[in-house]
Amino acid sequence: MTTIPAARSAAPPPAAPRRRRRHGGTRLRRRLAPYVFVAPFLAVFFAFGVYPLFFTARLSFTNWRGTGAAEWVGWDNYTYLLTNGAFWNSLGNSAALWLLIVPIQMVVGVLVAVLLNNAKLKLRGLYRVAFIVPFVTPLVAVAQIWVVLFDGRYGAVNALLGVFGVPEVGWLTTGAWAKPTLALLFLWKTTGFIVIILLSGLQSIDGAVYEAAEIDGASRGRRLWSITVPLLRRTIMFAVVLQTLAVFQMFAEPFVVTQGGPYNSTTTAGYYLYNHITRADLGTGAANSFLLVVLVMVLSLGFVRLLRAKD
Amino acid sequence: MTATQAPVRRERPRIGSHVLLMLLLAAFLAPVAWALLSAFKPANDIIRSPLTFDPTRFTLDNYTAMFQDVPIGQGFLNTAIVLLFKGAITMFFAPLAAFAFAKYRFVGRNLAFGAVLITLMLPTIVLIIPLLLEMKTLGWVNTYQALILPGAVDAFAVFWMRQVISAVPDELLDAARVDGCGEFGIFWRVVVPVIRPGLAGLAVLTIMNIYNDFVWPVVAASSERMATLQVVLSTLAQNITGNRIGADYATVTGELLAASSVALIPLLVLFILLQRHFINGILAGSVKG
Repeated sequence: MTTIPAARSAAPPPAAPRRRRRHGGTRLRRRLAPYVFVAPFLAVFFAFGVYPLFFTARLSFTNWRGTGAAEWVGWDNYTYLLTNGAFWNSLGNSAALWLLIVPIQMVVGVLVAVLLNNAKLKLRGLYRVAFIVPFVTPLVAVAQIWVVLFDGRYGAVNALLGVFGVPEVGWLTTGAWAKPTLALLFLWKTTGFIVIILLSGLQSIDGAVYEAAEIDGASRGRRLWSITVPLLRRTIMFAVVLQTLAVFQMFAEPFVVTQGGPYNSTTTAGYYLYNHITRADLGTGAANSFLLVVLVMVLSLGFVRLLRAKD
Repeated sequence: MTATQAPVRRERPRIGSHVLLMLLLAAFLAPVAWALLSAFKPANDIIRSPLTFDPTRFTLDNYTAMFQDVPIGQGFLNTAIVLLFKGAITMFFAPLAAFAFAKYRFVGRNLAFGAVLITLMLPTIVLIIPLLLEMKTLGWVNTYQALILPGAVDAFAVFWMRQVISAVPDELLDAARVDGCGEFGIFWRVVVPVIRPGLAGLAVLTIMNIYNDFVWPVVAASSERMATLQVVLSTLAQNITGNRIGADYATVTGELLAASSVALIPLLVLFILLQRHFINGILAGSVKG
């Protein structure tokens, strides 16, 4: 199903141009209409999007704590953060989570999408539905389940591993395992979504290119690597950008599962930012969010560049 | 001959593919299935033998205890109210604005749409602090307005619907115009029926986003009266231990799984009923890249 549904719907046959003259009277309305149509959206967009953004920008140069007068402190908040170990630690944690999540997700995503794209696959519909289930489940509910499943003492995961003689693992209580456990939650939650996106990319690839490769006797692995992946590059990059944004903003997962611990090993960039709010350190928080925006934008543009360079 | 009818690869999948997919299927479904089943086990069994399920010991105790200890009904009610209003606003005004962006030329169009694209790249957390202050100024902290209005006409929804509406042929609109249809009439009677599949996708995605939203509700409306379902869930453990002096780990776990199950079920049912719209929706929305 690659046809656009719109194109299918029966267009009424174009009417004969007999009513042309009525056009003149409606021209003004036609010119005004778009302004009326976008007005409600723009009102909400400016009130709760653009205005707060400029407010944050101003706030980031003050030491305001939510009450009293705000004092202009120049670049102090920025220099404070950029020379602060905790800030860099939060970025490091997010970067580590990115490394644990995105490469795995893309490899698994491409493999699964290619398998699901095969019309002869049995149970294809079931797989498609099942892989999306995690994506539609509420994150907070799943995060709670994660806490129970990965409990060191009573959790089902350790019980299952115990059957194979693996000793208890402190999934959420040791610095070494907390990040992978959180990454697993994220992978579980969003991989199905990535598979769907990649599937959409696959469906726009012309089947004929594979015919040629088959005639040339290229193996399955060869075709996957030399034809599918290059043709899917744009979609993969789109998915990478989406996930980069999501990973660096990750907040609810550490909030519910680990509260940033143990020993700040899961204090992500998003969670660290939230800490400023709870301490009413709004100026620093605002500066922190801008630094995060710059980072995320640079990363996104970097990926887009990478994509362009190869085109 | 076969070449013409082969848009997808036509080889029979090997056994290895099935094994891989089955394993993934199990991994993807196991946590949810485990939670749904375990919630019907006696609390002590959940932690003592987490891997077994004994149908003879089926119980609703976790559910009854959870409904006593946790204000989950209020959470559901609040979420339903937000869903209704915020959902309706998004579903009407986002396609309307998208229609203007897609099919009209007007002053400031590119500037406004450029701003939309930029906000798509911004982490939502950037806006949390100033939005919270804005709510304080307006006196909206812990009100429904605070939960409904910010983000009500989501930039992504506008962006996505613009893609969908761009695909509607201009001839269709012109034909309606020649027939004497007004500009809003063109939107309502021509565009909306034609983009119904896209709208269905947007509806499912919107419901899901609002139902699962957590960061903004927990910051802006965390009082017990205003807490949405997700906020109630996030304070579950404290709630249970607070209401029951000396509640042990098993009790808390049992109630926690019951509450999580209750929160999971509505979306799972919705998704299973509307999965075609949903998957097509994501596909339609992401094809552009």
